[in-house]
Amino acid sequence: MSDLDRAIEQLRACRLIPESQVRELCYKARELLIEEGNVVSVDAPVTICGDIHGQFHDLMELFRVGGDVPDTNYLFMGDFVDRGFYSLESFLLLLCLKVRYPDRITLIRGNHESRQITTVYGFYDECIRKYGSANVWRYCCEVFDYLALGAIVLGASSELEPSGSNANDLTQSTIAVDDGELETEVLNSRGEVTMSSYRPRQRASSDVDTDTQDILPPRDISAAPSQTSAPTRTGAPGTGASGDGNGSSMTSRTGAVLCVHGGLSPLIDSVDKIRLIDRKQEVPHEGAMCDLLWSDPDEIEGWGLSPRGAGFLFGGDIVKQFNHQNGLSLIARAHQLVMEGYKEMFDGGIVTVWSAPNYCYRCGNVAAILELGEDTSNGGTIARSNGEYGRSNGLSGPSSVSSPGRRYRVFEAAAQDTRGMPAKKPVADYFL
Amino acid sequence: MASRYPVGPVGHATVSPEVKKPQSITVGGFRISTQKLPILKAEPIEEMTRQLGIAPPEMIFGDNHVTIEHQKSGWGIDFNAFDALDRVDKTGQSMLQVAHSKEWQQSREKTHEGIKDVVKPFDWSYSTDYKGTLSPNAPSFESTEKPIPIEILKRPDPIVFFDEVVLYEDELADNGIAMLSCKIRVMPARLLLLSRFFMRLDNVLIRLRDTRVYVDFETREVIREYQAKECEYEKVRQILASTRDDIPALMRDPNRLSEILQIVEKSSERIILDG
Repeated sequence: MSDLDRAIEQLRACRLIPESQVRELCYKARELLIEEGNVVSVDAPVTICGDIHGQFHDLMELFRVGGDVPDTNYLFMGDFVDRGFYSLESFLLLLCLKVRYPDRITLIRGNHESRQITTVYGFYDECIRKYGSANVWRYCCEVFDYLALGAIVLGASSELEPSGSNANDLTQSTIAVDDGELETEVLNSRGEVTMSSYRPRQRASSDVDTDTQDILPPRDISAAPSQTSAPTRTGAPGTGASGDGNGSSMTSRTGAVLCVHGGLSPLIDSVDKIRLIDRKQEVPHEGAMCDLLWSDPDEIEGWGLSPRGAGFLFGGDIVKQFNHQNGLSLIARAHQLVMEGYKEMFDGGIVTVWSAPNYCYRCGNVAAILELGEDTSNGGTIARSNGEYGRSNGLSGPSSVSSPGRRYRVFEAAAQDTRGMPAKKPVADYFL
Repeated sequence: MASRYPVGPVGHATVSPEVKKPQSITVGGFRISTQKLPILKAEPIEEMTRQLGIAPPEMIFGDNHVTIEHQKSGWGIDFNAFDALDRVDKTGQSMLQVAHSKEWQQSREKTHEGIKDVVKPFDWSYSTDYKGTLSPNAPSFESTEKPIPIEILKRPDPIVFFDEVVLYEDELADNGIAMLSCKIRVMPARLLLLSRFFMRLDNVLIRLRDTRVYVDFETREVIREYQAKECEYEKVRQILASTRDDIPALMRDPNRLSEILQIVEKSSERIILDG
């Protein structure tokens, strides 16, 4: 067993590794990340995750629900640290996995992966507390500077393979969509389908009517005892076929998916412009890099300024235009707490994914991860409709790009060791 | 705007199935109850946004409340998130700006002249002068000079009921914190409730707004005190710099900050309830 495997095992048990090993790990991670572009290309199948915020035990629950690395291909959209009590264990484990399985896990930068923010929101203090000096914090911050700013998912399927058998028992009687394509599916942490939506076949426009049916209320599911085993995995894990679009006669019907922590920037009208940013620095207060990590979608038209006096908000028309120009079918982002774990906006043009259940150990929210399946209809050939090729071939008009099939796995906070946690029952005190 | 009184959760229909009954106790003719549930889901948040006219905070515990009721007189007071947020400035007149706002805006002037509109301006620090929601037919308070008897409250009388309930919280987009929470302790002969709004806008301002409700069960006297305190962030930091303590930790501790901040507003009211 290599040192790295031992470190992974140790961190999985929520035990820290020695400072010297952290230094070495961060050095290796930097060497690896420096080779990545600002926008990493990732082939489907992939599981997209939102904020973690140092909630280590919930990260373990995420791996239980979504499958382990390297069996599952993961993409984490930043905010690994701060707020929770185990930022170090969470980030170092993800970093170890990145170094050990570089092609099976992608990490992109969140606004909390910054020196300034981590000194205020907990990660710095945690490093001092657990290692007795700021060295480990410094090593980690150096890694932050090298993290990619975004990712493009290619080759996602527009149709989901229906989930496992226990779900079918529940769905067969209620779904009567003739010849429909399964477009979205929501599963609970036991792998049971709680919601599905279908779109009619052959009409590959993103705004066709969908037929949504609530099969079960999201959290009120009483499973038969035999169904409480590990969630049913769907879609064969393994490397996505890595065709490069050579001679492909047609583009995939599914556009690419842009993943970024915050959102869009008025300075960025194409994915290629993100590639031109000089990213290897502390997150600045201004410019495109800042916007990508900080901005939020909102129910407005065009661009707006946040009432806080810093930060942009962008509306549905901006998303629609950006997706169209870049041959994208979806933007996946994190950054904002959503009670249901995920939230689609603007006719499914953008989705917020949130992966920290019971945020800050007191919000009581559920978390979600988003699985995109692999499109095998072109014999595994992945068409590059990501703004590099799509615009020039004249085929990817607005109606030829359909959204990917989306499977959300929703999960709750892990039962965990409560030492060091805020007490559930408040301790009576003689406050005045 | 319709008050939420009498108590009934805003998102009642969508409350998760493991809904817990409120905790309660009755002492000396007063019924005290508290409820703690998860943050609201998307649907009730949308409904609340519509009713309030402003975007609610990121963490909105809309089903939570702390309530004191005097059964004989019908007097009661309730602390809940909706009514507290309804008192936040919705016009943007008292709007603060984050520390790096000038720098941010200057850097944008050349590139984005088209983007000037501030989206839905309002007091996004969620500062509220909320003093609780009185029951519909409650007789009104009268202004008083009589303070809450702090010395009596310092005595270690047994605490028969205690709870702490968060009503809302916002991270101010990682520029600090705004939080409204409510603590209550009930002793055999009296109770004290503290509803505290705490706001720290990093490198700009620290603000505390406390409402205290004191009830003497025997005399049925209720005293309500409101105290608003604030101070510039940098001033507070300088004062704390002279101590040897951990400054970032102190900056998160409203109790310690309370000793430093200056009072900007104060009022005191009382009422004696019919027996």
